[in-house]
Amino acid sequence: MTDTITPRSLDELRDAVIDRPGTIRIAGAGTAHDWAGTPEPADTVLDTTGLSGIVTHNPGDMTVEVWAGTPFGALQTDLGEHHQRVAVDPARAAEGATLGGLFATADAGPRSLQYGSLRDLVIGATIVLADGTVARSGGHVIKNVAGYDLTKLLHGAQGTLGVLARLVLRLHPTPQVTATVAASCERSAMAGLARRVADSPVEPTAVEWHAGRLLSLLEGSESGAEARARRLAEILGSDAAVLAPDDATQAWEAHAAAVRARSDDRAVFRFGVTPSELPRVLDALESATGVTASPRTGVATVALPADADVVATAHRRVAEAGGTSTLRQRPAGAALPAFGPAPASATVLRAVAASLDPDQRFGRGRLAPWLPLPDQTGQPTGVSA
Amino acid sequence: MTTHPTPGPTLDFSSERGEKPAPERADLLGGAGPSEFGSFDAHHPPAQELLDDCVHCGFCLPTCPTYALWGEEMDSPRGRIYLMEMAEKGEIPLEGSFTTHIDRCLGCMACVTACPSGVQYDRLLEATRPQIERNVPRSRSDRWFREAIFALFPYKRRLRAASLGGALYQRLRPKSMDKLLARVPERFGRLVAMESLLPPVSVRDAFRRMPERTPGIGPRRGRVGLLTGCVQDVFFHPVNEATARVLAAEGWDVIAPREQACCGALGLHAGREAEAIERAKKLIAVFERAQVDTIATNVAGCGSSMKEYGELLADDPEWAERAAAFAAKVRDISEVVDETLADARARRHPIEARVVYHDACHLGHAQKIRSEPRRVLRAIPGVELLELPEAEICCGSAGIYNMLQPQAASDLGHRKAGNIRGTGADLLVTANPGCLLQIRKYLGADLPMLHPIQLVDASIRGVRPPEMG
Amino acid sequence: MPERTMEAPHGGTGNDAPGAATPPVAVGPELARAFRDVLPADLVITDEVGRRSYECDGLTGFRQIPALVVLPRDADEVAACVRVCARHGVPFVARGAGTGLSGGAMPVADGVVISLQKLRRILEIDVENRRAVLEPGVYNLEISKAAAPYGLYYAPDPSSQQVCTIGGNVAENSGGAHCLKYGFTTNHVLEMEVVLADGSVVTLGGPTGEQAGPDLRGLFIGSEGTLGICTKVTVRLLQTPETVRTVLADFPSIEAAGDTVGDIVDAAIIPAAVEMMDSLSMEASEAATGAGLTVDAPAALIIELDGPADEVEAEFSHLTAICERHGATRMHVPAEAEERQKVWKGRKAAFAAVGRISPDYIVQDGVVPRTRLAEVLTRIAEMGRDAGLRVANVFHAGDGNLHPLVLYSEAAGEHDAAEKLSTDIAELCVELGGSLSGEHGIGTDKACSMPRMFSSDDLAVMHRVRHAFDPDDRCNPGKVFPTPRLCGERPGPYRPHPLEEAGVIERL
Ligand SMILES: Cc1cc2nc3c(=O)[nH]c(=O)nc-3n(C[C@H](O)[C@H](O)[C@H](O)COP(=O)(O)OP(=O)(O)OC[C@H]3O[C@@H](n4cnc5c(N)ncnc54)[C@H](O)[C@@H]3O)c2cc1C
Ligand code: SF4
Ligand code: SF4
Repeated sequence: MTDTITPRSLDELRDAVIDRPGTIRIAGAGTAHDWAGTPEPADTVLDTTGLSGIVTHNPGDMTVEVWAGTPFGALQTDLGEHHQRVAVDPARAAEGATLGGLFATADAGPRSLQYGSLRDLVIGATIVLADGTVARSGGHVIKNVAGYDLTKLLHGAQGTLGVLARLVLRLHPTPQVTATVAASCERSAMAGLARRVADSPVEPTAVEWHAGRLLSLLEGSESGAEARARRLAEILGSDAAVLAPDDATQAWEAHAAAVRARSDDRAVFRFGVTPSELPRVLDALESATGVTASPRTGVATVALPADADVVATAHRRVAEAGGTSTLRQRPAGAALPAFGPAPASATVLRAVAASLDPDQRFGRGRLAPWLPLPDQTGQPTGVSA
Repeated sequence: MTTHPTPGPTLDFSSERGEKPAPERADLLGGAGPSEFGSFDAHHPPAQELLDDCVHCGFCLPTCPTYALWGEEMDSPRGRIYLMEMAEKGEIPLEGSFTTHIDRCLGCMACVTACPSGVQYDRLLEATRPQIERNVPRSRSDRWFREAIFALFPYKRRLRAASLGGALYQRLRPKSMDKLLARVPERFGRLVAMESLLPPVSVRDAFRRMPERTPGIGPRRGRVGLLTGCVQDVFFHPVNEATARVLAAEGWDVIAPREQACCGALGLHAGREAEAIERAKKLIAVFERAQVDTIATNVAGCGSSMKEYGELLADDPEWAERAAAFAAKVRDISEVVDETLADARARRHPIEARVVYHDACHLGHAQKIRSEPRRVLRAIPGVELLELPEAEICCGSAGIYNMLQPQAASDLGHRKAGNIRGTGADLLVTANPGCLLQIRKYLGADLPMLHPIQLVDASIRGVRPPEMG
Repeated sequence: MPERTMEAPHGGTGNDAPGAATPPVAVGPELARAFRDVLPADLVITDEVGRRSYECDGLTGFRQIPALVVLPRDADEVAACVRVCARHGVPFVARGAGTGLSGGAMPVADGVVISLQKLRRILEIDVENRRAVLEPGVYNLEISKAAAPYGLYYAPDPSSQQVCTIGGNVAENSGGAHCLKYGFTTNHVLEMEVVLADGSVVTLGGPTGEQAGPDLRGLFIGSEGTLGICTKVTVRLLQTPETVRTVLADFPSIEAAGDTVGDIVDAAIIPAAVEMMDSLSMEASEAATGAGLTVDAPAALIIELDGPADEVEAEFSHLTAICERHGATRMHVPAEAEERQKVWKGRKAAFAAVGRISPDYIVQDGVVPRTRLAEVLTRIAEMGRDAGLRVANVFHAGDGNLHPLVLYSEAAGEHDAAEKLSTDIAELCVELGGSLSGEHGIGTDKACSMPRMFSSDDLAVMHRVRHAFDPDDRCNPGKVFPTPRLCGERPGPYRPHPLEEAGVIERL
């Protein structure tokens, strides 16, 4: 029987971890419950949504500390009152995803071209380990190199290694104006066109290809952003235009909707390769649909048939191109490989996991097969330095 | 003068890389124990205040040629200063490793340029080298080789004789000689280096003499004394002629005293202080008699040491003031010409050429003269001046370094030649004969090479620059 | 000098030394021979003069003579050297340019220094993908130089960029003046090849920000050489901005300058850089560089905006208006790139230039929340007065990163007082909600202050992770973490060690 527990404070969280025997699955809003490796049935589900809200926000310092169960959207709304924001825009945010969930899944949106992902904006964290240890790393200042950056370890850990309790984030001012330039373009032409955007001096915040159009997002001051958008449209020529605000909103929403789309017979595959490899890899994924691609970062999200061979082949293609890939949402019950071939660094991953959560209490199965399940005796296997 | 005893096994400190490690440290200082100045003797050891200026920040590392080559701390400016400091404390003997690493220093002074803390490495080195010359017995072959160099170079007459030999020899020598020399054992490397440096020189040039007086054209700007130099006058006589012509065209009377001899730069930079002092005194006397307003030189190395005569003779009451007065008058030729650019008298004719200028260390680093020669060259219509990557790094010539440390010098020479080729220039100019000799050796006949003043001269006269065909 | 030498915490003898479980350290001819099997003889430095040259980094107060120094020429040789160390149970310290200011590259007693100064090749400038692949010994500035012909550059710019290496930058997560807008080393390194303590080689990170599994790259960056040796780095290159506008503004007081920074932030302007200098640091720097700083102004800001022309022009007039509002006494706007370089040179040479106005000095590096800048500066001034020492300030005002320079004279016996003042300043930063270090790292210097910032649990967790990478404490042992051996000998408030009380100390 799986029990769900919803701690409401750091003490409750730690007590829950110490008091509950056995394995624990950490859950936020559940928007990515079926991403990455399929979790083993757990003795306890630890619901983080009770750990919600802002701990401290110092507008003058442009930092905020929040509970990990805070919905990202709600945080942005609060920060917006101070004309500030966390400069990431993962598609799942619209579904109520929590900060901790976004962090643990290393999710990011189009603005990662300029701002990177949450890993680039997090400056500190409080985490709870499987043995109940509460550990802090980083701090409240943007610049800080004291001690190991342990927080980074939980970015992309998919709910293994530890529970995020609180995060400290660096903020950016909300731009006065955002403008979008759309250029119609076949997928085969996106790389060339995106290169022209990149080589222009307008410094876009995001450049994404979706549904036959290349979208460039420009953010900045009132006069600046619009002037840059017009300039870019001119540079790109007759097929490009500055979108009206409503059209722009719609275009980006359609992009995000494609990224988070769920279907009964397809799984969502996310990968990153060097930008110059991107068109080739996309072409090789013949059965891919619903493509959104970021031709300047080399990251793309596609839907593939929910077939183990197809997905395994896709992972292999990406690995051959030197990239990384993760399987995201998939039809319930589909047994599909979550990751590609294990890199050499998987030995390090195993050793780190063994040091922080030797019994694999948290998120067992999430990082399999890179982090193999413990064997019958309850001992983790394949742990070596 | 007290000499510090440096007992212990005498190794071959011929300063080639990969030699035997130094004897294990200070216990070897023996019964005498460290003096007040540690392992240095009391005669002008490197001053503690100067050593203290170094904050160990490492900013000087990237432009140090030996560090660029080997990446070893002991062969960096920071490392050498650290060694001096240890020697000053008596923690390491001068003999052995210390001497090896100081010997490997090119004295290029790139570190002085790079140092934000104002460390006067030039003064530290000039204090350290004589200490080594006095206190460290050199191996027989090393001693012989150094004596040979100093018996030859500073003497015009001997150089002329050598050049004559060289000129004939270059014409007569069989092609197979190159191959043969390439195979000679490492320890003859220095001889090979010296041999291959002998520049192509015509017998006529080698024996040409400068006129004592070249009158200025038009209203007179003043009297300039020209240092004709030893190597310069024999191997690069046309540069001296061009210098005199340009100065005269700009309205200076040019005085080139016959009795002048070597300025002592080569010896000074190698730590042969006593010899350098004698030469300095002679030269000062010569130019006092010539009664000139300015003393111009077209040799970067000579300029930098003549500007230091004041310090070199500071201890000598009879000479201190005279030396300071002399030093104050010394100018590099590019400084003199640069000052006249504002109201240049001689019209420059266009020379269409992509020119790359190589900063001689003794001009750029030691005298901080970088923009003057560039302005002088840019004043020639048609000249496109190109900048050299790794401009701060020495070409490996460094006075007599290319003879004493041929391997390092050759690595640096190749590196410099590669950078020069990369610019795609039609012409290389540099203001030091040593650099010209060195670079020519590694660049071969790829590119014409001139002293900047020769280009100015050609422009004023409206002729094709020499070597440019 | 010897009286200032701190014995390295890792002696391999005392039972509190990490790695006490490893076999006895075998230093001597045997070890040298083992290295000569994998390297040419002249790249294994055994003579005392050579070894002593490596006894410290940019922080000369901490010294330790290594057993020997090796200079491998490529990644394979680095791995081979690490394997020799592993076989002989000898600790090692990676060394870049040795410009570190926290004693991070200080050798370990009976340990080996692995210098990366022969791995200096730029392996690739990939223009299409805007990245560069580098060996670890490449100087930071060389990357931008190599990328410049393509209109690209590498953003993190430590003041030491002409000499510090990318490997050292990775180890320290170095930042620089322009990191306010562009982020630190960790935001610009995509992928790294790392030799682990056992000599095995792994790749951390990937070709994009996209990540499968935990961010091991992010963990490694800033780990100060304690998790392995980085032998290859792939960094992102950025496009050179279309426009750069810089203003050097003098202010009648430090407070006025500080308030200006606050207002700039409130105005939603993110400058590429906001640097502050006080009169003492300007005096030194001006003497060294002639950059055109006003020596008698109490404070000056160097503010730089960069980006597309349309944005920069609008923001720049806003910016100068803010400066004027706070009583800027002079505003110098360099017209040309060359002039701008000169101003920056004035800023970047400041640390080293202080050598001109003081025989000795300590560079401190602490961070406070930006809103507490004025407060911390006032407190520092008071503390300096109390200690009878001058403190020059030059810092990255935009992100609250202070570099107080404590001036003293070794000869006048002021060393201990200076060191105490400097440590107190760093700990004050923590007290004000900041950090012990913004960019120079913890190294040997601040290991003993770590308990001021982190609980024993925090530190124990970090140590667990360290042991996952390096179970035998062979990579740069004794750095970052406080050890009784190191901290017990230090004067001041560190005894009894909080960790001792907590009973965790044996593990450290
Ligand atoms: C005048 C001056 C100004 C400075 N300004 C700044 C500044 O503005 N910002 C800033 O961040 N820092 C600054 N520093 C500090 C220093 O330059 C940086 O920390 C730099 O990153 C160190 O690089 P390095 O190559 O000299 O490394 P080193 O000093 O040789 O080593 C530093 C640490 O890195 C480790 N290490 C080196 N190479 C590797 C490798 N390949 N793999 C693993 N570990 C390695 C060493 O073991 C050591 O722990 C300054 C220093 C000076 C002297
Ligand atoms: S003079 Fe030249 S070779 Fe000697 S230490 Fe300085 S930079 Fe290096
Ligand atoms: S740059 Fe100057 S202060 Fe720094 S290490 Fe070199 S000589 Fe010393």
